[in-house]
Amino acid sequence: MKKLEEILKGALIIGGGIAGIQAALDLANMGIHVDVVEKKPCIGGRMAQLDKTFPTNDCSICILAPKLSEFYRHPNITLYSYAEVQKIGGTANNFTVDVLKKARYVKEDECINCGLCVEKCPMRVEDEFDRELRKRRAIYLYYLQGVPAVMTIDKDKCLWFTKNACRICEKTCERNAIDFEQVDQKVKLENVGSIIVATGYNLIEDIEKEALFNYGYGKFRNVVSALEFERLECASGPQEGHIKRFSDEKTPKKIAFLQCIGSRSDRAEKYCSSICCMYTTKEAIIAHEHDDELQSYVFYIDMRAGGKGFQSFLRRGASEYNISYIKSKIAQITVDEQENPIIVYEDLENRQIKQLKVDMVVLATCIVPPQGIEKLADVLGIELNDFNFVKTQPFIPVETTKNGIFTCGCVHEPMDIPRSVAEASGAAAKAAEVIKRG
Amino acid sequence: MEYDLFLGCVIPARLPFLEASSRKVFETLGIKLNDVEGFSCCPDPTGIEQIDHNTWLTMGARNLSLSKNGNGGILSFCSGCVETLKGVNFSLNKDPSLMEDVNKHLKKVGKNYDGKTNVKHFAQVLYENLDLVKKKVSKPLEGFKVAVHYGCHYLRPSEFIQWDDPFNPYTIDEIVKALGAESLDYDNKIECCGNPVEKSDKDLSLMMIENKLKAIQCSGANCVALVCPACYQQFDFNQRELSKKEDANYEIPIFYLSELAALAFGYDPEDLGLNFHRIKPQEFLENINFIK
Amino acid sequence: MSVINFEFRNEVLKHNASLSYCYQCSTCSGGCPIALLTEGKYNPRLIIEEAILGLQDKLIEMQDPNLWLCSTCQKCVELCPQKVELTEIFTLIKNRCFEEGEVPSGFVSQGKAVLDNGVAIPFSNAILARRKKLGLPEIKTASVDEIKTLLKVTNFEYHITRRGE
Repeated sequence: MKKLEEILKGALIIGGGIAGIQAALDLANMGIHVDVVEKKPCIGGRMAQLDKTFPTNDCSICILAPKLSEFYRHPNITLYSYAEVQKIGGTANNFTVDVLKKARYVKEDECINCGLCVEKCPMRVEDEFDRELRKRRAIYLYYLQGVPAVMTIDKDKCLWFTKNACRICEKTCERNAIDFEQVDQKVKLENVGSIIVATGYNLIEDIEKEALFNYGYGKFRNVVSALEFERLECASGPQEGHIKRFSDEKTPKKIAFLQCIGSRSDRAEKYCSSICCMYTTKEAIIAHEHDDELQSYVFYIDMRAGGKGFQSFLRRGASEYNISYIKSKIAQITVDEQENPIIVYEDLENRQIKQLKVDMVVLATCIVPPQGIEKLADVLGIELNDFNFVKTQPFIPVETTKNGIFTCGCVHEPMDIPRSVAEASGAAAKAAEVIKRG
Repeated sequence: MEYDLFLGCVIPARLPFLEASSRKVFETLGIKLNDVEGFSCCPDPTGIEQIDHNTWLTMGARNLSLSKNGNGGILSFCSGCVETLKGVNFSLNKDPSLMEDVNKHLKKVGKNYDGKTNVKHFAQVLYENLDLVKKKVSKPLEGFKVAVHYGCHYLRPSEFIQWDDPFNPYTIDEIVKALGAESLDYDNKIECCGNPVEKSDKDLSLMMIENKLKAIQCSGANCVALVCPACYQQFDFNQRELSKKEDANYEIPIFYLSELAALAFGYDPEDLGLNFHRIKPQEFLENINFIK
Repeated sequence: MSVINFEFRNEVLKHNASLSYCYQCSTCSGGCPIALLTEGKYNPRLIIEEAILGLQDKLIEMQDPNLWLCSTCQKCVELCPQKVELTEIFTLIKNRCFEEGEVPSGFVSQGKAVLDNGVAIPFSNAILARRKKLGLPEIKTASVDEIKTLLKVTNFEYHITRRGE
């Protein structure tokens, strides 16, 4: 009796974040072969960048890592990391996919992630995973707990590729894992039955800094975005969880969290970014756990906390973690001579205009579609909606406009982790249906 | 290149020296400004518009209809006039029934507006001809540390002003730099001077201009550049008022953008009527060795 | 106790539908320079709230907040995430005040000057002399009769002159 994997078509999942990983595991556990293509050197996506997850405040990487492990070792899953989908052909249950696997210049089978090469590399590069809050090297591991745990050489910054010099990593490596002769590989995947798009999201500051101009983002050192703050809170992040102001390294005792930055606005993104109300309370609670003298102020238009346990999470924040919720959207930020941000707002309880001086401001910035979505939609032949997220129908939420191609997670629309996981399982079930039907 | 010149009320009848420098600047640039007979008050977007919007539209449309300058259209030295004329244009072109109503009124005085007159602020024209401006600079404004006050109606509402960035403008800074001066950043650079509030509450108006002057003093600037006669009155007349009231002594010289350009083009301060400013710039110009 | 006046509310909405987009986020009052200086006594968000609720007595009769303190700087309009045209709506309400309520005298005197001269600031002899000195040409402004005719047609003359009495 032939194994199911041999007689059935396989599935392709584009994106190795929590949604892509969940869908892959579901399909693989059903006996279907899964190919996963991930653009970054490691899988894990945005969830790997988070410190904790709401509303339970579980350590994000702690609940992600077992899935990464299971994924990487699963006999039915083949991962193409540092790769991108170039072209597809065919129709549902009969797709062919051209994947470009970029050269890492490191032999994946040899590298044991000892880190000696990293110590010696002379090039300092902005660390994308840490939102450019610290520097990495030209040869690097994308993040500490990353899978696959192998190094990657950034061709654009490596001295060998830019100036024909160095190659210290090659001399240092004790396993001969560095291979400057590597080339980009073209992989043709055949017998692909269905495709799942799970490419996640970007933040508005990645595509449109002007939307944040009035808040001094990029100009005032003590104004940061929410994802940057997440990295600062994280024990493996640039400040190792001991949050310090960028202007003078002092520990902030008063932090203002500004909601709806670049969202719910006719002048930026019109939609609600959905997760910010919850993650702001989470960030404020964690920050208070690190320093119980902290006073947090959340400035909002509406507090959106519709999920199970969400409303009581907010109430806990107010009663136990010194968070003041103030209904008033902030127009602009100014700073005084010590770079302390000043917030002017109307107190709607008594209609007074008040000024609040804080130590740090965290901007809850809007979720936007991921980089390259327009090109990917073109390649796949699927439609995007008015906001450039993947177009679906309200009562058929995981189906794209093309037969055999499904979607899940934030590339579909802004959503939190539990919902991404649920959609991923839904997409996996639909994808399996196509494959099993034959 | 030529434009129909719309002077408005304040500049020709109260601050004629601003007209003098502005005319000279465009003469040097070789841009012709036609004097048109029969313009009325624009009318004032902070005055008449606030009490009778319909009259504002009608008088504005009448002014616009007097310009027969094809694509060149109207050029104005005043942000308020530009706000009115651009605003009237926008409202009437957006709503044909409104245009019809206004033209019914205009018919009674033998006029009609077709909605096609272009309107430009003089600073816009300078910016669009920045290379020409640079060429004509014979006496770069060295030692001038300028705090540019954009004012409000030069920038907003961006829906119909459609020129510079409403919160992060740069056009006048670029012109000032092209004239050889330094343009400084300062707190509340895009805030209002407070002139329109004067009709309702003089003290409030003075508080607003004082906030601006304080910030400019702290920035290290030694003079202010303006593009609006209402702002001019706030900065010049009311700087004096403030100094009368309190111990704080404000003596920051004020220049209209066209006065700066005229000085950079080599005109004599005497010919420009700079001595008609209430805050006399003579001493400042001598201190930075611009004049002897 | 304020009373909702649906006619007033609908009139404002008819002239400027953007009033209904407001979701009372108070970005406008947070960015308004006058609100800050008057410590909230002038409040653009409150004016819009009162307009939405059709509180004619507050806006026209009591003028609370005092709309005439608006400096027309348009920051609120540029900041508003819903693109509510605040300054336009304030203008509308102030126009109604001109027809039915109190108006600061400065506005009336400007209106009267335009009615009598066609321009807000007529040329004084001193200015004419100064213009000559500066080498400036003589300016021929609009015919006073023409402007008066126009202002009669728009009813402006009626409202200005009845205030003079």
